[in-house]
Amino acid sequence: MPAITSHGLRKTYGGTVAVESLDFAVARGTILGFLGPNGAGKTTAIRMLSTILEPDAGSFSVAGIPHTDPVQIRRRIGVLPESAGYPATQTAQEWLTYHAELFGSPARAAAATATRLLGEVGLAGRAGSQIGTMSRGMRQRLGIARALVNDPEVVFLDEPTLGLDPAGQGQVLQLVTSVARERGVTVVLSTHLLAEVEQVCDRVLILNRGRLVSEGTIAETVSRGAVHVQAALLEVPAEQREQALELLQRNGIGAASADAGRLREAFLALTEDQP
Amino acid sequence: MSTARVVAWRELRDNWLTGRGLALMFGFSILLSLATYLAATNEALTFLEQRESLALVLKVAVTVGGLLVVLWCADAISGERERATLEGLLLTPASRRGIVVGKGLSALSLWFAAYLCALPYLWILGRGVSRLGEVLLAGLVVGTLLALFLAGLGMLLSIWSGSQRASLALALLLLVALHAPAMMPTSALRGWSGELVRRLDPFTGGLPYLDQMVLTGHPIGQDLGLLLVPVVAALVLPAVAVLAAGRIRLLTGGRG
Repeated sequence: MPAITSHGLRKTYGGTVAVESLDFAVARGTILGFLGPNGAGKTTAIRMLSTILEPDAGSFSVAGIPHTDPVQIRRRIGVLPESAGYPATQTAQEWLTYHAELFGSPARAAAATATRLLGEVGLAGRAGSQIGTMSRGMRQRLGIARALVNDPEVVFLDEPTLGLDPAGQGQVLQLVTSVARERGVTVVLSTHLLAEVEQVCDRVLILNRGRLVSEGTIAETVSRGAVHVQAALLEVPAEQREQALELLQRNGIGAASADAGRLREAFLALTEDQP
Repeated sequence: MSTARVVAWRELRDNWLTGRGLALMFGFSILLSLATYLAATNEALTFLEQRESLALVLKVAVTVGGLLVVLWCADAISGERERATLEGLLLTPASRRGIVVGKGLSALSLWFAAYLCALPYLWILGRGVSRLGEVLLAGLVVGTLLALFLAGLGMLLSIWSGSQRASLALALLLLVALHAPAMMPTSALRGWSGELVRRLDPFTGGLPYLDQMVLTGHPIGQDLGLLLVPVVAALVLPAVAVLAAGRIRLLTGGRG
């Protein structure tokens, strides 16, 4: 049974369509790169799948639980929300313990879970520090620890590397990989770091303007992007082809091909109608 | 109720150990010292009788204690929303109603702490006043009823408001609007509108009840009819807030 299935998921805000007809399935144990330009609907989709937002239409299941049972879904998922806030005056240990208790752990077990997870994310030495004194990278690692307090089957990480320096990004991605591989959980990773997605993710899903434009392995996505670019090029008269290639390259869209293409080029090709 | 207990315990620790609650009590004590000093000096100059001084400070304690509760509750959900910590709470399987009950219980601790701070002032002003014990008990009962009502009101504003500033401003405005009729002379509340206010505003029941006890020496059981509206409000508003808690939402979409 897939870890996540989505059928015709739709969400609008007023008259604006955020997500439209989202259909996909993710196998258990997969690390899925959830990609798309800003405003593509990634966060809305993650919020629907994590039961924070109700879809206007469609259905989904997470960890085998249908969307009609949101409390049971929340018991089985861990989420690092986009731009998550943290209580500045609580210590890392207190905050994690609190969240473990909210998942139903008795106080003593919750404290033990918090201590263990702080060790796993490399913050054991900062357990007693107030969260307000921590760097952004530390807070993101703490957020990942919070997403693991209930030993989840599926973890959603919404731009966990946002605002981090390259070293911080590397640490977080390494942590994501170890969480997925060692725990065997399914990870949905929303990020703009395409080079890292190529290294970390098994599959990639690309949204554009709320619609699914590509879903598959990295190789399949790159190939699809290359086809997209080549199809576009075919509409250009032959005598202007060289000029068109130059223009595309100047705008960051290379002449991707299935052999030499990169995920970044495929991503840009597949989402090039973004205003 | 396990969620309510966990949330209440966490909030109590945050409120009282990180200094916000203590800072508010410090401010409250300064205000009460000022009110007591003015009442006592007016009493010494025979502008006020001792009972009037006691009634004045008792009503200040009840009203300001209620103000702390309503503001705290008005921040409870909208503040979490604004600090981007609400999503983390909603992502747990904890019931929304339990979260609201826990936060409400923690806010009520401000009223009890405020009344505890007020007791020495009231005791000094009320020395020699007959049935002072009953007056202090009545102050606790009326203040608790009003605090429950205000907790429910503040929580409702917080649940429905998109911004923390809006919920705090509305809470303050409503408190002033509800408190104003109780401060007016009876003659100002004439006609059907005056009667409607008198019947529906918990303050116009609760505060005159305290006046009757302190100023005219009525025993605690004599004017219980005045407490009907405060009792109903103390039951209904928190219940509505708990019911509305099931609809707590983030209200905004994401950037991605």
